[in-house]
Amino acid sequence: MLTKKDRQRFERLSLPHLDAAYNLALWMLRNPAEAEDTVQIAFMRAFEAFNSFSGNNIAAWLMTIVRNTAINTLNRNKRNSNLVSFDEIAHNTEKPHINNHDLRPDEVMSLITKQTVIAELIERLPLDHREVLYLRDIEGYSYKEISEIILLPKGTVMSRLSRARAQLQKWLLQQQRKEHFRGL
Amino acid sequence: MDCDHINKLIESYLDAELTLSDRRDFETHVTDCGDCSAQLEAMRALQNNIQNMHYHTAPCTLKQTIKNQLRDYTGEDTSRISWLKWSAMATGFVSVGALSSWLVLAYIMVSPLQTRFTDDIISAHVRSLMVDHVTDVESTDRHTVKPWFNGRVDFSPPVKDLKEQDFRLIGGRLDYINNTAATALVYQRRAHIINLFIYKYSPSQHSHKPQLLQRNGYNVIYWSRNGLNYCSISDLNKKELTEFSQLMATF
Ligand SMILES: [Zn+2]
Repeated sequence: MLTKKDRQRFERLSLPHLDAAYNLALWMLRNPAEAEDTVQIAFMRAFEAFNSFSGNNIAAWLMTIVRNTAINTLNRNKRNSNLVSFDEIAHNTEKPHINNHDLRPDEVMSLITKQTVIAELIERLPLDHREVLYLRDIEGYSYKEISEIILLPKGTVMSRLSRARAQLQKWLLQQQRKEHFRGL
Repeated sequence: MDCDHINKLIESYLDAELTLSDRRDFETHVTDCGDCSAQLEAMRALQNNIQNMHYHTAPCTLKQTIKNQLRDYTGEDTSRISWLKWSAMATGFVSVGALSSWLVLAYIMVSPLQTRFTDDIISAHVRSLMVDHVTDVESTDRHTVKPWFNGRVDFSPPVKDLKEQDFRLIGGRLDYINNTAATALVYQRRAHIINLFIYKYSPSQHSHKPQLLQRNGYNVIYWSRNGLNYCSISDLNKKELTEFSQLMATF
Protein backbone atom coordinates (compact mmCIF):
# COMPACT_ATOMS: atom_id res chain seq x y z
CA MET A 1 0.00 0.00 0.00
CA LEU A 2 1.39 3.36 -0.98
CA THR A 3 1.10 6.13 1.53
CA LYS A 4 1.24 9.87 1.54
CA LYS A 5 4.91 9.61 2.42
CA ASP A 6 5.58 7.42 -0.63
CA ARG A 7 3.68 9.89 -2.75
CA GLN A 8 5.77 12.78 -1.47
CA ARG A 9 9.01 10.89 -2.04
CA PHE A 10 7.88 9.84 -5.50
CA GLU A 11 7.01 13.41 -6.45
CA ARG A 12 10.32 14.71 -5.17
CA LEU A 13 12.26 12.11 -7.17
CA SER A 14 10.19 11.86 -10.32
CA LEU A 15 8.81 15.30 -11.11
CA PRO A 16 12.23 16.81 -11.91
CA HIS A 17 12.28 14.36 -14.83
CA LEU A 18 8.89 15.32 -16.16
CA ASP A 19 10.32 17.38 -19.02
CA ALA A 20 12.64 14.56 -20.04
CA ALA A 21 9.73 12.13 -19.95
CA TYR A 22 7.59 14.48 -22.02
CA ASN A 23 10.29 15.07 -24.61
CA LEU A 24 10.94 11.34 -24.97
CA ALA A 25 7.24 10.71 -25.50
CA LEU A 26 7.14 13.56 -28.00
CA TRP A 27 10.08 12.17 -29.92
CA MET A 28 8.50 8.76 -30.01
CA LEU A 29 4.89 9.69 -30.72
CA ARG A 30 5.34 12.98 -32.62
CA ASN A 31 2.05 14.23 -31.21
CA PRO A 32 1.75 16.56 -28.18
CA ALA A 33 -1.67 15.36 -27.00
CA GLU A 34 -0.62 11.72 -27.11
CA ALA A 35 2.69 12.52 -25.47
CA GLU A 36 0.87 14.19 -22.61
CA ASP A 37 -1.50 11.26 -22.11
CA THR A 38 1.33 8.79 -22.31
CA VAL A 39 3.41 10.56 -19.68
CA GLN A 40 0.40 10.80 -17.40
CA ILE A 41 -0.23 7.06 -17.64
CA ALA A 42 3.48 6.28 -17.31
CA PHE A 43 3.83 8.28 -14.11
CA MET A 44 0.88 6.47 -12.57
CA ARG A 45 2.37 3.13 -13.56
CA ALA A 46 5.69 4.19 -12.12
CA PHE A 47 4.04 5.10 -8.86
CA GLU A 48 2.21 1.79 -8.71
CA ALA A 49 5.54 0.05 -9.11
CA PHE A 50 7.40 2.48 -6.88
CA ASN A 51 7.89 -0.05 -4.08
CA SER A 52 9.70 -2.36 -6.42
CA PHE A 53 12.11 0.34 -7.54
CA SER A 54 15.37 -0.22 -5.74
CA GLY A 55 17.97 1.25 -8.04
CA ASN A 56 19.54 4.65 -7.78
CA ASN A 57 18.87 5.88 -11.29
CA ILE A 58 15.25 6.90 -11.14
CA ALA A 59 15.53 8.92 -14.35
CA ALA A 60 16.51 5.86 -16.38
CA TRP A 61 13.82 3.81 -14.65
CA LEU A 62 11.20 6.40 -15.56
CA MET A 63 12.45 6.55 -19.14
CA THR A 64 11.95 2.78 -19.39
CA ILE A 65 8.35 3.10 -18.24
CA VAL A 66 7.61 6.07 -20.48
CA ARG A 67 9.07 4.23 -23.42
CA ASN A 68 7.01 1.10 -22.79
CA THR A 69 3.87 3.15 -22.37
CA ALA A 70 4.56 5.02 -25.60
CA ILE A 71 5.03 1.73 -27.41
CA ASN A 72 1.69 0.51 -26.03
CA THR A 73 0.08 3.67 -27.31
CA LEU A 74 1.58 3.12 -30.75
CA ASN A 75 0.55 -0.54 -30.86
CA ARG A 76 -2.93 0.36 -29.84
CA ASN A 77 -3.17 3.06 -32.49
CA LYS A 78 -1.95 0.56 -35.02
CA ARG A 79 -4.43 -2.11 -33.99
CA ASN A 80 -7.28 0.31 -34.15
CA SER A 81 -6.44 2.00 -37.36
CA ASN A 82 -5.83 1.05 -40.91
CA LEU A 83 -3.39 3.84 -41.29
CA VAL A 84 -0.05 2.47 -40.31
CA SER A 85 2.73 4.78 -41.19
CA PHE A 86 5.28 3.09 -43.30
CA ASP A 87 8.34 3.75 -41.24
CA GLU A 88 6.87 2.13 -38.15
CA ILE A 89 6.33 -1.25 -39.76
CA ALA A 90 9.56 -2.13 -41.37
CA HIS A 91 12.40 -0.02 -42.41
CA ASN A 92 15.46 -0.60 -44.37
CA THR A 93 18.07 -1.56 -41.89
CA GLU A 94 20.88 -1.11 -44.30
CA LYS A 95 23.32 1.53 -43.23
CA PRO A 96 23.42 4.36 -45.76
CA HIS A 97 26.92 4.50 -47.01
CA ILE A 98 28.99 7.60 -46.79
CA ASN A 99 32.71 7.48 -47.17
CA ASN A 100 35.35 10.15 -46.96
CA HIS A 101 35.22 10.94 -50.61
CA ASP A 102 31.51 11.63 -50.59
CA LEU A 103 32.11 14.78 -48.65
CA ARG A 104 33.63 17.85 -50.22
CA PRO A 105 35.26 20.24 -47.75
CA ASP A 106 32.63 22.95 -48.26
CA GLU A 107 29.96 20.38 -47.58
CA VAL A 108 31.56 19.35 -44.35
CA MET A 109 31.33 22.89 -43.12
CA SER A 110 27.81 23.45 -44.34
CA LEU A 111 26.66 20.38 -42.46
CA ILE A 112 26.51 22.82 -39.61
CA THR A 113 22.99 23.70 -40.60
CA LYS A 114 19.62 24.91 -39.58
CA GLN A 115 17.84 23.31 -36.67
CA THR A 116 14.46 23.30 -38.32
CA VAL A 117 15.74 21.05 -41.03
CA ILE A 118 17.15 18.58 -38.57
CA ALA A 119 13.92 18.41 -36.59
CA GLU A 120 11.99 17.47 -39.72
CA LEU A 121 14.52 14.88 -40.70
CA ILE A 122 14.48 13.28 -37.27
CA GLU A 123 10.73 12.88 -37.55
CA ARG A 124 11.32 10.81 -40.65
CA LEU A 125 13.55 8.34 -38.83
CA PRO A 126 12.02 5.05 -37.71
CA LEU A 127 10.95 4.82 -34.09
CA ASP A 128 13.77 2.59 -32.87
CA HIS A 129 16.26 5.08 -34.26
CA ARG A 130 14.57 8.12 -32.80
CA GLU A 131 14.46 6.73 -29.31
CA VAL A 132 18.15 5.83 -29.06
CA LEU A 133 19.10 9.14 -30.61
CA TYR A 134 17.02 10.98 -28.05
CA LEU A 135 18.40 9.03 -25.11
CA ARG A 136 21.98 9.49 -26.25
CA ASP A 137 22.17 12.95 -27.79
CA ILE A 138 19.54 14.80 -25.80
CA GLU A 139 19.55 13.05 -22.44
CA GLY A 140 23.19 11.99 -22.55
CA TYR A 141 22.78 8.38 -21.45
CA SER A 142 25.68 6.00 -21.99
CA TYR A 143 25.40 3.04 -24.37
CA LYS A 144 25.11 0.75 -21.37
CA GLU A 145 22.31 2.76 -19.80
CA ILE A 146 20.42 2.89 -23.09
CA SER A 147 20.79 -0.85 -23.53
CA GLU A 148 19.19 -1.27 -20.10
CA ILE A 149 16.33 1.04 -21.00
CA ILE A 150 15.49 -0.58 -24.32
CA LEU A 151 16.43 -4.09 -23.12
CA LEU A 152 18.74 -4.80 -26.01
CA PRO A 153 22.50 -5.41 -26.22
CA LYS A 154 24.94 -2.54 -26.30
CA GLY A 155 25.95 -3.51 -29.82
CA THR A 156 22.40 -2.96 -30.99
CA VAL A 157 22.32 0.48 -29.38
CA MET A 158 25.53 1.38 -31.19
CA SER A 159 24.42 0.13 -34.56
CA ARG A 160 21.07 1.89 -34.30
CA LEU A 161 22.70 5.14 -33.31
CA SER A 162 25.15 4.78 -36.12
CA ARG A 163 22.47 4.09 -38.69
CA ALA A 164 20.35 6.96 -37.46
CA ARG A 165 23.20 9.42 -37.73
CA ALA A 166 24.36 8.14 -41.10
CA GLN A 167 20.82 8.46 -42.38
CA LEU A 168 20.54 12.01 -41.13
CA GLN A 169 23.84 12.95 -42.72
CA LYS A 170 22.75 11.42 -45.97
CA TRP A 171 19.48 13.36 -45.98
CA LEU A 172 21.20 16.58 -45.02
CA LEU A 173 23.65 16.11 -47.84
CA GLN A 174 20.92 15.40 -50.36
CA GLN A 175 19.12 18.51 -49.29
CA GLN A 176 22.21 20.64 -49.53
CA ARG A 177 23.03 19.34 -52.96
CA LYS A 178 19.51 20.12 -54.07
CA GLU A 179 19.82 23.65 -52.76
CA HIS A 180 23.21 24.04 -54.34
CA PHE A 181 21.84 22.85 -57.64
CA ARG A 182 18.95 25.29 -57.47
CA GLY A 183 21.42 28.08 -56.75
CA LEU A 184 23.35 27.45 -59.94
CA MET B 1 45.35 2.53 -36.33
CA ASP B 2 44.33 2.89 -39.96
CA CYS B 3 41.67 5.19 -41.37
CA ASP B 4 39.02 2.46 -41.61
CA HIS B 5 39.42 1.61 -37.99
CA ILE B 6 39.45 5.26 -36.92
CA ASN B 7 36.30 5.86 -38.90
CA LYS B 8 34.48 3.22 -36.92
CA LEU B 9 35.50 4.89 -33.67
CA ILE B 10 34.26 8.40 -34.47
CA GLU B 11 30.90 8.05 -32.79
CA SER B 12 32.22 6.23 -29.74
CA TYR B 13 34.76 9.00 -29.43
CA LEU B 14 32.13 11.73 -29.56
CA ASP B 15 29.86 9.77 -27.23
CA ALA B 16 32.71 9.54 -24.70
CA GLU B 17 32.70 5.76 -24.87
CA LEU B 18 36.37 5.14 -25.73
CA THR B 19 38.93 3.94 -23.23
CA LEU B 20 41.61 6.41 -22.37
CA SER B 21 44.26 4.73 -24.50
CA ASP B 22 41.96 4.36 -27.54
CA ARG B 23 41.04 7.96 -27.10
CA ARG B 24 44.67 9.02 -27.22
CA ASP B 25 45.40 6.92 -30.32
CA PHE B 26 42.30 8.31 -31.98
CA GLU B 27 43.28 11.90 -31.32
CA THR B 28 46.81 11.35 -32.52
CA HIS B 29 45.58 9.92 -35.81
CA VAL B 30 43.00 12.60 -36.40
CA THR B 31 45.47 15.47 -35.93
CA ASP B 32 47.52 14.11 -38.79
CA CYS B 33 44.81 12.84 -41.11
CA GLY B 34 42.69 15.30 -43.07
CA ASP B 35 40.13 12.73 -44.20
CA CYS B 36 39.42 11.38 -40.76
CA SER B 37 39.40 14.82 -39.26
CA ALA B 38 36.80 15.96 -41.82
CA GLN B 39 34.64 12.95 -40.96
CA LEU B 40 34.95 13.71 -37.30
CA GLU B 41 33.93 17.34 -37.75
CA ALA B 42 30.95 16.38 -39.89
CA MET B 43 29.72 14.01 -37.21
CA ARG B 44 30.39 16.55 -34.50
CA ALA B 45 28.39 19.16 -36.41
CA LEU B 46 25.47 16.78 -36.75
CA GLN B 47 25.54 15.98 -33.07
CA ASN B 48 25.62 19.69 -32.20
CA ASN B 49 22.64 20.26 -34.44
CA ILE B 50 20.69 17.56 -32.69
CA GLN B 51 21.67 18.75 -29.24
CA ASN B 52 20.63 22.30 -30.02
CA MET B 53 17.15 21.26 -30.99
CA HIS B 54 14.26 22.74 -29.10
CA TYR B 55 13.71 21.11 -25.71
CA HIS B 56 10.08 21.25 -24.74
CA THR B 57 8.73 22.04 -21.34
CA ALA B 58 5.97 19.72 -20.20
CA PRO B 59 2.61 21.53 -20.12
CA CYS B 60 1.81 22.78 -16.62
CA THR B 61 -1.57 21.04 -16.73
CA LEU B 62 0.28 17.75 -17.06
CA LYS B 63 2.14 18.23 -13.81
CA GLN B 64 -1.05 19.17 -12.00
CA THR B 65 -2.94 16.20 -13.40
CA ILE B 66 -0.21 13.83 -12.28
CA LYS B 67 -0.15 15.37 -8.81
CA ASN B 68 -3.92 15.06 -8.49
CA GLN B 69 -3.90 11.47 -9.66
CA LEU B 70 -1.16 10.55 -7.22
CA ARG B 71 -3.12 12.03 -4.32
CA ASP B 72 -6.18 10.26 -5.52
CA TYR B 73 -4.30 7.00 -5.63
CA THR B 74 -3.08 7.25 -2.05
CA GLY B 75 -6.54 8.28 -0.93
CA GLU B 76 -5.41 11.73 0.15
CA ASP B 77 -7.90 14.48 -0.27
CA THR B 78 -7.47 16.31 -3.49
CA SER B 79 -7.78 19.82 -2.29
CA ARG B 80 -10.72 21.86 -3.34
CA ILE B 81 -8.33 24.50 -4.56
CA SER B 82 -6.74 22.35 -7.20
CA TRP B 83 -10.14 21.30 -8.51
CA LEU B 84 -11.24 24.86 -8.75
CA LYS B 85 -8.00 25.73 -10.43
CA TRP B 86 -8.54 22.90 -12.84
CA SER B 87 -12.05 23.97 -13.68
CA ALA B 88 -10.78 27.47 -14.34
CA MET B 89 -8.16 26.11 -16.70
CA ALA B 90 -10.56 23.75 -18.38
CA THR B 91 -13.01 26.51 -19.14
CA GLY B 92 -10.31 28.09 -21.17
CA PHE B 93 -9.88 24.98 -23.28
CA VAL B 94 -13.35 23.79 -24.04
CA SER B 95 -15.02 25.73 -26.74
CA VAL B 96 -18.34 23.89 -26.65
CA GLY B 97 -20.28 26.03 -24.22
CA ALA B 98 -19.14 26.86 -20.75
CA LEU B 99 -17.78 23.76 -19.15
CA SER B 100 -18.06 24.88 -15.56
CA SER B 101 -21.74 25.68 -15.83
CA TRP B 102 -22.50 22.23 -17.16
CA LEU B 103 -20.29 20.27 -14.87
CA VAL B 104 -20.30 20.33 -11.10
CA LEU B 105 -16.85 19.65 -9.79
CA ALA B 106 -18.29 18.16 -6.68
CA TYR B 107 -15.48 16.07 -5.43
CA ILE B 108 -16.15 16.80 -1.80
CA MET B 109 -19.86 16.02 -2.09
CA VAL B 110 -19.26 12.40 -3.00
CA SER B 111 -20.95 9.99 -0.64
CA PRO B 112 -19.44 6.64 0.39
CA LEU B 113 -22.27 5.00 -1.48
CA GLN B 114 -21.34 6.75 -4.66
CA THR B 115 -17.69 5.96 -4.11
CA ARG B 116 -18.58 2.27 -3.98
CA PHE B 117 -20.71 2.67 -7.05
CA THR B 118 -17.82 4.37 -8.82
CA ASP B 119 -15.57 1.47 -7.89
CA ASP B 120 -18.09 -0.82 -9.56
CA ILE B 121 -17.97 1.30 -12.68
CA ILE B 122 -14.18 1.24 -12.65
CA SER B 123 -14.08 -2.56 -12.31
CA ALA B 124 -16.49 -2.92 -15.19
CA HIS B 125 -14.35 -0.61 -17.29
CA VAL B 126 -11.11 -2.38 -16.42
CA ARG B 127 -12.69 -5.80 -16.92
CA SER B 128 -13.83 -4.81 -20.40
CA LEU B 129 -10.30 -3.83 -21.36
CA MET B 130 -8.48 -6.68 -19.67
CA VAL B 131 -10.29 -9.67 -21.03
CA ASP B 132 -10.27 -8.07 -24.45
CA HIS B 133 -14.01 -8.15 -24.38
CA VAL B 134 -14.78 -4.54 -25.03
CA THR B 135 -17.77 -5.18 -27.21
CA ASP B 136 -20.53 -7.77 -27.69
CA VAL B 137 -21.60 -6.09 -30.86
CA GLU B 138 -18.82 -4.52 -32.81
CA SER B 139 -19.89 -1.85 -35.20
CA THR B 140 -19.25 1.76 -35.99
CA ASP B 141 -22.83 2.06 -37.20
CA ARG B 142 -25.30 3.22 -34.59
CA HIS B 143 -28.12 1.62 -36.57
CA THR B 144 -26.53 -1.74 -35.87
CA VAL B 145 -25.64 -1.11 -32.26
CA LYS B 146 -28.96 0.30 -31.07
CA PRO B 147 -31.24 -2.59 -32.13
CA TRP B 148 -28.85 -5.09 -30.60
CA PHE B 149 -29.98 -3.97 -27.15
CA ASN B 150 -33.65 -4.68 -27.94
CA GLY B 151 -34.95 -7.28 -25.50
CA ARG B 152 -31.66 -7.28 -23.62
CA VAL B 153 -32.48 -4.29 -21.46
CA ASP B 154 -35.85 -2.76 -20.65
CA PHE B 155 -35.00 0.63 -22.03
CA SER B 156 -33.73 1.96 -25.28
CA PRO B 157 -30.32 3.52 -24.98
CA PRO B 158 -29.69 6.48 -27.23
CA VAL B 159 -26.74 5.64 -29.45
CA LYS B 160 -25.05 8.62 -30.99
CA ASP B 161 -22.65 8.97 -33.79
CA LEU B 162 -19.83 11.32 -32.82
CA LYS B 163 -17.49 10.48 -35.64
CA GLU B 164 -17.29 14.05 -36.76
CA GLN B 165 -16.32 15.15 -33.29
CA ASP B 166 -13.56 12.56 -33.41
CA PHE B 167 -15.09 10.12 -30.93
CA ARG B 168 -15.40 6.86 -32.80
CA LEU B 169 -18.19 4.45 -31.90
CA ILE B 170 -16.72 0.96 -31.82
CA GLY B 171 -19.58 -1.04 -30.41
CA GLY B 172 -21.81 -1.97 -27.52
CA ARG B 173 -21.89 -4.44 -24.69
CA LEU B 174 -24.20 -5.67 -22.01
CA ASP B 175 -22.71 -5.20 -18.57
CA TYR B 176 -23.75 -5.36 -14.95
CA ILE B 177 -23.34 -2.49 -12.56
CA ASN B 178 -24.39 -3.18 -9.03
CA ASN B 179 -26.11 -6.39 -10.20
CA THR B 180 -28.30 -4.45 -12.59
CA ALA B 181 -28.13 -4.72 -16.34
CA ALA B 182 -26.56 -1.72 -17.97
CA THR B 183 -25.73 -0.97 -21.54
CA ALA B 184 -22.20 -0.01 -22.29
CA LEU B 185 -21.49 1.94 -25.44
CA VAL B 186 -17.88 1.95 -26.40
CA TYR B 187 -16.23 4.90 -28.04
CA GLN B 188 -12.65 5.65 -28.81
CA ARG B 189 -10.50 8.72 -29.11
CA ARG B 190 -6.93 8.06 -30.16
CA ALA B 191 -5.77 5.14 -28.04
CA HIS B 192 -8.32 5.77 -25.31
CA ILE B 193 -11.38 3.65 -24.83
CA ILE B 194 -14.41 5.36 -23.36
CA ASN B 195 -17.11 3.23 -21.79
CA LEU B 196 -20.45 4.97 -21.62
CA PHE B 197 -22.72 3.16 -19.17
CA ILE B 198 -26.43 3.80 -19.33
CA TYR B 199 -28.64 2.36 -16.59
CA LYS B 200 -31.82 2.90 -14.67
CA TYR B 201 -30.54 2.08 -11.24
CA SER B 202 -29.53 5.08 -9.26
CA PRO B 203 -27.76 5.14 -5.93
CA SER B 204 -29.90 7.21 -3.62
CA GLN B 205 -27.59 10.16 -3.66
CA HIS B 206 -26.89 10.13 -7.36
CA SER B 207 -26.82 13.76 -8.25
CA HIS B 208 -28.88 14.87 -11.18
CA LYS B 209 -26.37 17.51 -12.01
CA PRO B 210 -23.38 16.39 -14.03
CA GLN B 211 -20.49 15.42 -11.83
CA LEU B 212 -16.86 14.73 -12.46
CA LEU B 213 -14.94 12.31 -10.29
CA GLN B 214 -11.41 11.14 -10.48
CA ARG B 215 -10.39 7.83 -9.04
CA ASN B 216 -7.52 5.38 -9.56
CA GLY B 217 -6.31 7.29 -12.56
CA TYR B 218 -9.68 7.28 -14.31
CA ASN B 219 -11.96 10.14 -15.01
CA VAL B 220 -15.60 9.43 -14.39
CA ILE B 221 -18.48 11.71 -15.32
CA TYR B 222 -22.07 11.19 -14.19
CA TRP B 223 -25.20 12.80 -15.48
CA SER B 224 -28.88 12.03 -15.89
CA ARG B 225 -31.29 12.70 -18.70
CA ASN B 226 -34.84 11.65 -19.51
CA GLY B 227 -35.04 9.19 -16.66
CA LEU B 228 -31.81 7.44 -17.52
CA ASN B 229 -28.48 7.69 -15.75
CA TYR B 230 -25.26 8.01 -17.63
CA CYS B 231 -21.69 7.47 -16.66
CA SER B 232 -18.68 7.92 -18.92
CA ILE B 233 -15.34 6.56 -17.84
CA SER B 234 -11.94 6.60 -19.43
CA ASP B 235 -8.27 7.19 -18.89
CA LEU B 236 -8.72 10.00 -21.37
CA ASN B 237 -7.97 13.41 -19.87
CA LYS B 238 -10.68 15.35 -18.09
CA LYS B 239 -10.94 18.01 -20.73
CA GLU B 240 -11.70 15.62 -23.56
CA LEU B 241 -13.91 13.31 -21.53
CA THR B 242 -15.94 16.34 -20.51
CA GLU B 243 -16.23 17.32 -24.14
CA PHE B 244 -17.47 13.82 -24.95
CA SER B 245 -19.98 13.74 -22.11
CA GLN B 246 -21.25 17.15 -22.91
CA LEU B 247 -21.83 16.18 -26.52
CA MET B 248 -23.69 13.10 -25.35
CA ALA B 249 -25.80 15.01 -22.89
CA THR B 250 -26.74 17.92 -25.05
CA PHE B 251 -27.40 16.32 -28.37
ZN1 LIG C 1 42.69 8.76 -41.29
